Amino acid sequence: MLSEYSAIEGRSPGYWKLFAALGGLVLMGAAAFLYVEHHGHAVTGMNNQIVWGLPHVFAISLLVMASGALNMGSMSTVFAVKQFEQFGRFSAFLSIALLIGGLAVLMLDLGRPDNMLLPMVYMNFRSMFTWNVFLYTGFMTLCILYLWTMFEYKQYKKFVGTAAFGWRLVLTTGTGSIFGVIQGREVFGSAITAPTFVAISLTSGTALGILLLFFTFRFTRRELDDRLIFGMRNAMIFFLMLVAYLLVVEKFTRFYDPASYDVEMWILTGPWAWLYWLGVWGVGVVVPLALLFNRRIGNSVRGVLTASGYVVAGAFCFVAHTLLAGQSYPFDLFPGYTITSVFQDGQAGTYMPTLWELMLGLGGVGISGLIYLLGIRFFRMLPARGEAPKGWELPWNP
Amino acid sequence: MTMDRRTVLGLGGAIAAGVALAPGLHLFAAPANSTSPDSGSAQPGKRWGMLIDTTRCSSDCTACLSACRTENNVPLYGDPDRDIHWIRKVELRDQNRRQLPVNLPVLCNHCENPPCVHVCPTAASFVRHDGLVLIDKHRCIGCRYCIIACPYKARSLVFYKTKPPRDANPNVPIRAAGVVEKCTFCAHRLDEGKMPACVEACAKADKNAMIFGDLNDPNSEIHQRLLKEKTQTIRADLGLKPHVHYKGI
Repeated sequence: MLSEYSAIEGRSPGYWKLFAALGGLVLMGAAAFLYVEHHGHAVTGMNNQIVWGLPHVFAISLLVMASGALNMGSMSTVFAVKQFEQFGRFSAFLSIALLIGGLAVLMLDLGRPDNMLLPMVYMNFRSMFTWNVFLYTGFMTLCILYLWTMFEYKQYKKFVGTAAFGWRLVLTTGTGSIFGVIQGREVFGSAITAPTFVAISLTSGTALGILLLFFTFRFTRRELDDRLIFGMRNAMIFFLMLVAYLLVVEKFTRFYDPASYDVEMWILTGPWAWLYWLGVWGVGVVVPLALLFNRRIGNSVRGVLTASGYVVAGAFCFVAHTLLAGQSYPFDLFPGYTITSVFQDGQAGTYMPTLWELMLGLGGVGISGLIYLLGIRFFRMLPARGEAPKGWELPWNP
Repeated sequence: MTMDRRTVLGLGGAIAAGVALAPGLHLFAAPANSTSPDSGSAQPGKRWGMLIDTTRCSSDCTACLSACRTENNVPLYGDPDRDIHWIRKVELRDQNRRQLPVNLPVLCNHCENPPCVHVCPTAASFVRHDGLVLIDKHRCIGCRYCIIACPYKARSLVFYKTKPPRDANPNVPIRAAGVVEKCTFCAHRLDEGKMPACVEACAKADKNAMIFGDLNDPNSEIHQRLLKEKTQTIRADLGLKPHVHYKGI
C-alpha cells in the first residue's frame, strides 16, 4: 500500500543554502557562548531576580516540542492510526534532533559550562533537574531504539514505541515540574503546570511536524496526500482545546483562593499580561482554533500550515510567559507589608534580553535543524510518497 | 572499514544507551549524603540560629552590611540588578499604616528544609552537620535553580569576573564567575569559635540587634530568648523551618 522509504538527494542549491543558513545559526550560537563564557553572564539581560532568560525559553521550547514531535509515531504504534505509520521514522528522528538542540542551549548557558558533566557524577535525587537528566537521556535512548526497530526489528516496534510514548509523557511532566514544584515563587507551584506542559507539547509537536513534513515534501518534490495533513489538523484541534481547558481550569482554581488574588491579577493585568493574552491565548490558542474551525481556511492546506505556525509561536510564548512572568513577580517576604531595599525587594523584576542570548537560543534551533537536514539526507527517514490508504476518509472536517 | 547505515544506527543506539545508563550506575553506589563529606569543622549536635530584634535595628545603620562585605570580600559592582548581597537591609511598611516602618536585615535563613538544597542537581548546596546551608563552589554548575527555589532572595549569581581586593580576607575563597553564592553565617569564623562578622559589627555599633548562637543549647541566649519572647520567621507558611527569627514585626 505505502511507498518505500528513501533519503533525499540533498544536492540542490536550495539544500545547501538551507544548510549554510542553519550552519550560520550554529556558528552564531557558538560565538555567543564563547562571548558570554569570556565576559560572564553580565553581558546577558539576566539578573539576580530573573536568572533564566531567553536561552532557557528557546531550550525548554525545543525540549517540549521534542516530546511532542513523537506524536505521529505514537499515533500509529500505540493508537493504531495506521496512516501515520509512514511518518514514524521522521517523528522519532525529529524528537532526537530537537532534544539535542534544546539540551545544547541549556548546557551552554550554564554559569560553569566546564562543569557540565558534574550532574552525571554527583547526583541529588530530590532535584527535578537530576530526574530530568535521566528523563532526557532515557528518552533519547528510547527514540534511537524506536528508530532502530522501525528500520530493522519491526517485531519490537510496538514494545519500544509504547515505552517511548509513556516516557515522553513522564519527560514533559518532569519539564513542567521544574516550575510546578517551586513553592517559593507565587506564580510557580501549581500541580496543573506539568499537565499543561504535556498539552503544549502535543500541540506544538504536531504543528512543527506538519510544517516540516509539508515543506520537506514540497522542496523534495514528493507527493503528500492532503488528507494526511487534515488528519493531523484534527488531532491538533483536540490538543488545542485541551490546552485551553487546562489554562482555564488553572485560572479558575487559583482565583477561587483569596490568597492568590494579587498574583493572579498581576498575571492578567501586570507587565507580562500582554504576553499572556496576546501570546499564550491569542497566538497559541484562539487564532489557530479560529483558523482551523473556519470551513474555508480549516479545509485548506495553507490554512492548516498558517495555524501550525501560530501554534509553534504560541508554545514559545507559553514557555516565555511561564519563565519570565514567574520570575518577575515580586518576592512576597512579608505579606501585608510594603517592602523596599537596594536589592529591588518589593519590585517586579525587569528583563531585557541581549543579542547574545538570542544568538545562543537560535544556535540551538540551528543544531536541531542541521541534525534534521543531515538525517533525512543520509538515512531513509521519509517515505517516497506520503500516501493515505485507499478508501480512507477523514471522520470529520470543519 | 566501511559501515552501513544499519550498523551506524546500531552503534549510535548502543552509545546513547551507554550515556543514558552511565548515570544510573550511581543508583548502585552509596547514596549521596546531603551533608558534605568534608564538613569536618562542623560540630554535630549544634544548630546555629539567629534572632534579629528589629526594635533595635535603625534605618541609618549598615554596620552589618559593611562587615559582611569586608569579611567575605563581597564586591559591589555598581550594577544594582546584579550586585551580590549576602545580607541586605529592607524597610517594611504596614499596608494599613497601623504601625511605624520597620527596618531589618534579611539574609540566608539556613532553613531546616532548604528548597535550594532540594533542587540542586549536583548536591553542591548542602546542609552541614551543624545546620549551616553552604555551597560547594567547585561542584556548582551555575544552573541557578537554587535562586529560583529560594523564597528569600538570599542567593546571588556571580555575574562578573571579579579580582580579589588587595586587602582581601584570605580565609574566604576567591569567587568565580558563574557560580551561586550566599551568606555562610561566616562558617570560617564559627569554626574558629568566633561570631559571624555581622553579629560582631552590630554589637560594636552598640545596637545588639543580632543575637547568634546554638539553638540546641538550652543555656544559650538565643535559646532562652526564643522561649520567652514573641518572635516569628519569614514565610513560616512554606514549612521551611528557617533559623533566622525576627522580633518586633
